[in-house]
Amino acid sequence: MRRGRTFWFWVFVGPFAAGLALFTYVPLLWSVGLSFFDAHNTVTPTRFVGLDNYTAMLRDGAFTGSLRTFLVFTAFIVPVTFALSLALALMVNRVRRARAFFRSVFFLPAACSYVVAALIWKMSLFNGVRFGLANTVLGWFGADPVAWLSTTDPPWYWLVIVTVRLWLQAGFYMILFLAGLQRIDPVLYEAAAVDGARPGWTVLRNITLPQLRGTSVAVALLLVINAFQAFDEFYNLLSNAQGYPPYARPPLVYLYYTALGQGQNLGLGSAGAVLLALIIAIVTVGQARWLRLGRSEADG
Amino acid sequence: MDDALVRAGRALRVVVLVVLALLFLIPFYLLVRNGLSSEQDITSPDWTFFPAEVRWGNVPELFDDPSVPFARSLLNSALIAVATTLGTLLLASLAGYGLARIPYRHADKVFYGILGTLLVPAAVTFVPSFVLVSSLGWISTLRGLIVPTLFSAFACFVFRQYFLGFPRELEDAAQVDGLGPWRTYWLVVVPNARPVFAAVGTIVFLGAWNSFLWPLVIGQDRNAWTVQVALSSFTTAQVVRLHELFVAAAASILPLLVVFLCFQRWIVAGVERSGID
Amino acid sequence: MTISRRTLLGAGAGLGAGMLSACGSNTGRGSGGSGGVRLAQWYHQYGEPGTEQAVERYAAAYGKAHVTVQWRPGNYDQQTAAALLTDSGPDVFEVNGPSLDQIQGGQVEDLTALLDGVRDDFNPAVLAPKTYRGKVYGIPQTIDMQMLYYRRSMLRDAGVRAPRTLDELVAAARTLTSSKVKGLFLGNDGGAGVLGGTPLYAAGLSLVTDDGKAGFDDPAAARTLGKLHRLYADKSLLLGAPADWSDPSALLQGLTAMQWSGLWALPQVQKELGDDFGVLPFPADGPAGRPAVPVGAYGAAVSARSRHKEAAKEYVKWLWVERTDDQEDFALGYGFHIPARISLARRAGKLKSGAAADAVRFATEHGHAQPLLWTPAAQAAYQDALSRIIKDGASPEGELRGVVRKVSAELERVRHTS
Repeated sequence: MRRGRTFWFWVFVGPFAAGLALFTYVPLLWSVGLSFFDAHNTVTPTRFVGLDNYTAMLRDGAFTGSLRTFLVFTAFIVPVTFALSLALALMVNRVRRARAFFRSVFFLPAACSYVVAALIWKMSLFNGVRFGLANTVLGWFGADPVAWLSTTDPPWYWLVIVTVRLWLQAGFYMILFLAGLQRIDPVLYEAAAVDGARPGWTVLRNITLPQLRGTSVAVALLLVINAFQAFDEFYNLLSNAQGYPPYARPPLVYLYYTALGQGQNLGLGSAGAVLLALIIAIVTVGQARWLRLGRSEADG
Repeated sequence: MDDALVRAGRALRVVVLVVLALLFLIPFYLLVRNGLSSEQDITSPDWTFFPAEVRWGNVPELFDDPSVPFARSLLNSALIAVATTLGTLLLASLAGYGLARIPYRHADKVFYGILGTLLVPAAVTFVPSFVLVSSLGWISTLRGLIVPTLFSAFACFVFRQYFLGFPRELEDAAQVDGLGPWRTYWLVVVPNARPVFAAVGTIVFLGAWNSFLWPLVIGQDRNAWTVQVALSSFTTAQVVRLHELFVAAAASILPLLVVFLCFQRWIVAGVERSGID
Repeated sequence: MTISRRTLLGAGAGLGAGMLSACGSNTGRGSGGSGGVRLAQWYHQYGEPGTEQAVERYAAAYGKAHVTVQWRPGNYDQQTAAALLTDSGPDVFEVNGPSLDQIQGGQVEDLTALLDGVRDDFNPAVLAPKTYRGKVYGIPQTIDMQMLYYRRSMLRDAGVRAPRTLDELVAAARTLTSSKVKGLFLGNDGGAGVLGGTPLYAAGLSLVTDDGKAGFDDPAAARTLGKLHRLYADKSLLLGAPADWSDPSALLQGLTAMQWSGLWALPQVQKELGDDFGVLPFPADGPAGRPAVPVGAYGAAVSARSRHKEAAKEYVKWLWVERTDDQEDFALGYGFHIPARISLARRAGKLKSGAAADAVRFATEHGHAQPLLWTPAAQAAYQDALSRIIKDGASPEGELRGVVRKVSAELERVRHTS
């Protein structure tokens, strides 16, 4: 019987596992291997350098700087996206008319590619000259055009990055929250009404949010992973033919320029990638532990 | 007094929603406005909400541009997105079912092995993946564009979570009828799990249609360009033609929006029941 | 690592060969069976209409091999670099290099023999960065250069003369800036990307000295780069235009009075502005200063992984050494470049008058190419520092100290690699 089960397990899981092994694990281990070699312009290096690439990466101010920037970015974007998508879900869930319309409007951007979104933001909405929409609006109030993506003081580029990210992602997480709201038993609300709880903050705090706990944990985890893996919108908004500016540079973008492109220092790039993957793993696992722990305390 | 408060709250909510909805629609509006304008209208310092002259001619101009095979790239994207979706659904649902339902000593280890790959950014393994695929001889082929992307740990994870909550009674009944695991899966489980297939399928389809970096390096031949690569060729040219860029961007998301609006109901239903949390 | 590499590549290659013979492959290379040798040739995406058709025409005219042209949008350097790691890359490709690491890594073939007897006819400024220890690794195709375009009428109306020093440029940009028009456009990043080493050359310095040291370990470097921050602080720079510096749109649309751009923009500027423009080199700065313009050339290279290296070299020789009429057509027929061959440049009628003649003169008298020893890592460190100097007002001395350290380490590294 056990042998039969093992057989069926691999019939179901085997093809997927084999593909994942070949197309994800092999490149992954290969990368880890490269990180111990001097690998300029080659994926089959011969000069073993031990941990040199790791020490070089940790001493590289540009890399550690980008890690710091992204810790701050994560600490900001995660709560903001979380709050916006939760607020959207709560409002859409309570609205009486045109609910499907509102849901579609907020969800629609999730279908757009980062390339297209970056294009609209960079070329039209937030371009730095007078025919950009944002600058046109400023012009109505008599203000001078602002070079949104090029100004470092104040760092207006964050406004561009944060808005494009919210536009692209809030709808998706809103759907997760909406699904969570649908699962809340209406009896709970009725009971609260009988107890004289006024709809509004009290109900939200005492019933809705605790009931959404599971969804909230999932959304928070996904948001954190997502923030650390940021690449597409940054790359498409800020890079040009000559490279990427030294600000708002995600670790992945920095590694991309180190390892790919003419830099082709695959050993150094791989070492940085391994460090980044480790950080993501530690943060995510730690966060999961912490959030789960909180739940079991609340439940018990 | 209370009633008035509640009513005011409700009105406020509608106002906030409408304002937010308008903000969310601005980018779509800009796509259409710029896509149907002449270059002069787009760059004019005097803002007009709609172009003085609506230029539908931009659309045929896009498809006639000899330097970018736009129609072909749309076709490629459609082929790749459909094949990727079907392949992913097949592989990931089987794996998710196996992990959720077939007791096996090391199932947990296999599961964490799959889940762990979610933490590794794809860019990390990018170069070795490229070399691997190229040593298979898959550069500029549909195989190379599709096969390596079929093994989505995310899809597998969602399916596993869904099947963990799937009612056991159905499978038990099938077993009583003498069906083995394979036929139980196809005849009983799949027909009753349509929402999650629709939800995962839509997400995978969107991802495949919108993916950029992989098609850029694998689809080297112009005939293998996807629509995202074609789009980027407008932005990397030395001379930027804004109207063509915007009309191309609009054309690249139109098919998606149609698919998306049709399946939206299913995604919501699928998410609700898949227990992504 | 060694294990997985050897076994996997072995397995992969075996599998790949099977796939190839079974299904064919669409890469445009391979042995081609009866039809003779097939070669894949790559170009980056040129912006000028007609270029692609032209290179296809040249390739089609070649009799000894079937040449397939691939036209690559997107980040071309990254694509070629990745493709050179594999067997499915190009046989012949143009490259903004080859880079020193590509040469030292044995990824590109030695093409010295192709230039037998005609080496002196190639512009030495652009041939030098393609030469390593006396051997040539890329045949210059055409020369590109960059310069400063300005609108004569705008300068006249503002009572400003064409700037001859960096200080005059800073002052002119400030005077020309109004609420509608900015004084100067150096790219959306404020100039860090496109200017590169040009201001250093304008200060009488260089990126790498002849004896292989960092060429800007000098107080004059900090002084000059600091003046670029003045441009930014004065708000004289156009930033965030939809089209970047390589496209003359900002100048043509009246968003800026002066713009740094390439020679390739000249026909379009001429067509739209007529006589209302002039061109300048980057102006000199300081007592040792001299005007500077960057020159460079895409070079035709042969991949060391090509299965038909000899055929590929023969084709490169045919197109980029022997076919002078095609070279002339390529340089002057679409957009605007200076032929890499001195003999062709001399007889090109289009380059004998007006702004084009000025440009040729700048390139000859003030041209500097990026040295081969200036590696991408050095460039990245320098560009980051320059961006911080220009936009954040960071101390040029402090930033440059860091760059000198980094660049010296890079120069040390490449000296020890053979």
